[in-house]
Amino acid sequence: MNMPILGKHLRYLSAGAAVAVFFALSGPSFAATPADTLVEGFAIDDIISLDPGEAFELSTAEVTGNSYSLLVRLDLDDTTQVKADIADSWTVSDDGLTYTFKLKPELKFASGNPITADDVVFSVERLIKMDKSPAFLFGQFGLTGDNVTEKVKAIDPLTVSFTVDKPYATSFVLNVLTSTAGAVLDKKLVMEHAKAVTPSDEYKWDTDFGNDWLKTNSAGSGPFKVVTWKANEAVVLERNDEYFGEAAKMKRVIYRHMKESAGQRLALENGDIDVARNLEPGDFEAATANPDLATISAPKGTVYYISLNQKNPNLSKPEVIEAFKYLVDYDAIGATLIKGIGEIHQSFLPKGQLGSIDDKPYTFDVVKAKDLLAKAGLADGFTVSMDTRNTQPVTGIAENFQQTLAQAGVKLEIIPGDGKQTLTKYRARQHDMYIGQWGSDYFDPNSNAETFTANPDNSDEGKVKTLAWRNAWDPKDLDAETKAALLEKDSAKRAAMYQDLQRKVLESGPFVVIYQQIEVAAYSSKLKGFKLGPSYDTNLVAPISKE
Amino acid sequence: MTDPSSPAPSTASNESWREWLLTAEPHSRNQARLGRAYVTWRRFSENRLAVTGLLIIVALVLVAIFADLLAPHSATVGDLAGARLLPPGSPGFLLGTDDQGRDILSRLLVGSRITLAVVALVAIIAAPVGLLIGTVSGFAGGYVDAVLMRVTDIFLAFPKLILALAFVAALGPGIENAVIAIALTSWPPYARLARAETLGVRNSDYIAAVHLMGASPARIVIRHIMPMCLSSLIVRVTLDMAGIILTAAGLGFLGLGAQPPLPEWGTMIASGRRFILDQWWVATMPGIAILIVSLGFNLLGDGLRDALDPRGAGR
Repeated sequence: MNMPILGKHLRYLSAGAAVAVFFALSGPSFAATPADTLVEGFAIDDIISLDPGEAFELSTAEVTGNSYSLLVRLDLDDTTQVKADIADSWTVSDDGLTYTFKLKPELKFASGNPITADDVVFSVERLIKMDKSPAFLFGQFGLTGDNVTEKVKAIDPLTVSFTVDKPYATSFVLNVLTSTAGAVLDKKLVMEHAKAVTPSDEYKWDTDFGNDWLKTNSAGSGPFKVVTWKANEAVVLERNDEYFGEAAKMKRVIYRHMKESAGQRLALENGDIDVARNLEPGDFEAATANPDLATISAPKGTVYYISLNQKNPNLSKPEVIEAFKYLVDYDAIGATLIKGIGEIHQSFLPKGQLGSIDDKPYTFDVVKAKDLLAKAGLADGFTVSMDTRNTQPVTGIAENFQQTLAQAGVKLEIIPGDGKQTLTKYRARQHDMYIGQWGSDYFDPNSNAETFTANPDNSDEGKVKTLAWRNAWDPKDLDAETKAALLEKDSAKRAAMYQDLQRKVLESGPFVVIYQQIEVAAYSSKLKGFKLGPSYDTNLVAPISKE
Repeated sequence: MTDPSSPAPSTASNESWREWLLTAEPHSRNQARLGRAYVTWRRFSENRLAVTGLLIIVALVLVAIFADLLAPHSATVGDLAGARLLPPGSPGFLLGTDDQGRDILSRLLVGSRITLAVVALVAIIAAPVGLLIGTVSGFAGGYVDAVLMRVTDIFLAFPKLILALAFVAALGPGIENAVIAIALTSWPPYARLARAETLGVRNSDYIAAVHLMGASPARIVIRHIMPMCLSSLIVRVTLDMAGIILTAAGLGFLGLGAQPPLPEWGTMIASGRRFILDQWWVATMPGIAILIVSLGFNLLGDGLRDALDPRGAGR
């Protein structure tokens, strides 16, 4: 008689136990990142390709900076200097045109292939011939697809000579070599994965130089190598055991795509990630107050700006450009939306670079803006659209700008999109207005000066795709002035020229520069050696360790 | 006694009004109709929850009409420097402010227009389309029926929100496109319903009689079949309205519905979720608004179903 009852009880009991086990297994896991893996929460939706010859995005710069070696690298202790990376030494000819680099002997790529002068030559040749976004960095030295093999040559297996077209300031040339476009690629490995292409008028070569494969792989000799990139999901790096420098402390680094600041903060507090990279002011303040977390901030060579496409007849009127500069509520934005993560800055050179000025001639002034609009014949206002990446604080600023524009009668339509959508449209010059950021490609004033003021060919076919070109702005004399500043050997004079350029762009350029970024990160106090560099490609993860 | 107005009591009390309405032998068609409506209303008003739902919807309509008068602040222009993320109960801001320093109460009030407009437009577009397709399909039968119903099947085969997402992605984000997308995805159930009702009446005697009198198929469908489908359709549409609101809010939340600065409730939640840890009210307030209005439509729909159900007429 008792048996069936007991059996019934047992059944309940076992069912209950099963449920308990199920919940125990599926419940939240606590503080879970592995000891040999660094997990960073990072908005990486701007990544289009990991190929250093193609990529030109901020998140990609960080990946490239950690997975490739360069001839020379920015010295992070003194950012006005460069230091050797795979180059052992270098000399400049007396006429200032030929640079000769001696490579360190017996270095190896992550694949195990030796690093030779041939690989360096190949990397530059490939960059120039593919002619993607970053190609202009080396293109400015007079390199073209037709002459690159004469200008960049391997003299012997460990010697490279590089000839530029004008006697530029040496620091400028070396600074450009520190950009991600100067990454040295493993020729053998890359060409094993190259695909045949039928040459056409736009693309004269019969190979894709491994571009397709490199979009999601790496072929470098940095402290890490790329394991995988899944769009809007993650980038996984693994330690390169062949690395010639000090080996990375972590075995693996995972950049997890997390767009939301609140999500990053929660994940960080729960130990699901070790570093939160895109915290907004409120969340950053909360992290600062949390004893289990550490925070860090570093001014970046990145300025946030709104640009006005000069193809739009309304936006090309000088009065409208000026009026829009009076329609940003700088003070309110500085005190709220970007508090702690940026400071109001109106000139195009970020603080810290040669010749940077801190002029702030514009304040929020609706009356003045209305006068200017009336002068332009647009007293009744007009409608205009702005492509806006779906991340903060850009969206918040865009919404605020929408309100302040409305006070002057201008109706702003915000077109939201992810980084890829908005950038692609921007680069095709199909926008009205764009809000975004510009990070210096190398630590030299020419990087920003050139992108904001150089535009030798303002047609849609223009090859030099600077920001001025993207916004169809013809900078007239400024183009020549920028080029002259580049050849000026006297630093003080050179600085003065850049100051003049900034004031002119402030006055008439179609760029409303709003602020300079201060990059912040909050990280678990278990991490040691976490640092942020002055640019994204100098956010090095190799020295980071975990307790 | 053929004059319809003559038996109407001109000075009499409520009692005689009711007698006149509830009489078993109405003297005119209008009297019968009014009597019927009165019975329905009595049955509806007995249901307290249904009346609550009705009150919520009436309040929503009134709020939408008088939003400009009711809203204490601008719904689109905020005070970024002075009034950002104030908690509920702050002086002048009953429900607090959002990240742009805008008054949440004002945004909710003005946003009720968008919600109501979406619901109304979807109902106006989807219900007649569904009704027409369903009745034609049911009455015509044969190939017409087969083709129309297979098209309906195809639409029904997709999850509603996913299909709406696809449409919006193709048409481009925006509130108008969201309305079109939701309407395109919500007519199939109405078509099914109308077809079922039509099949129930197409062989009845009165249809045969109308047919014998020489009425065209169009006349039969429009004048004699559609009215029979209406009551169940109204119930179904009302019950669906909560779903429509949620779909619109969902599209707004995903950035595909209303665009800033429109105070659409779903969009408000989306922009408030960033502050959910420290400033809970930014996302919570529009959430509560959606909850109340969806509940209102559901209660109203339930009440209407009970009141309009002809099988319950004798109760």
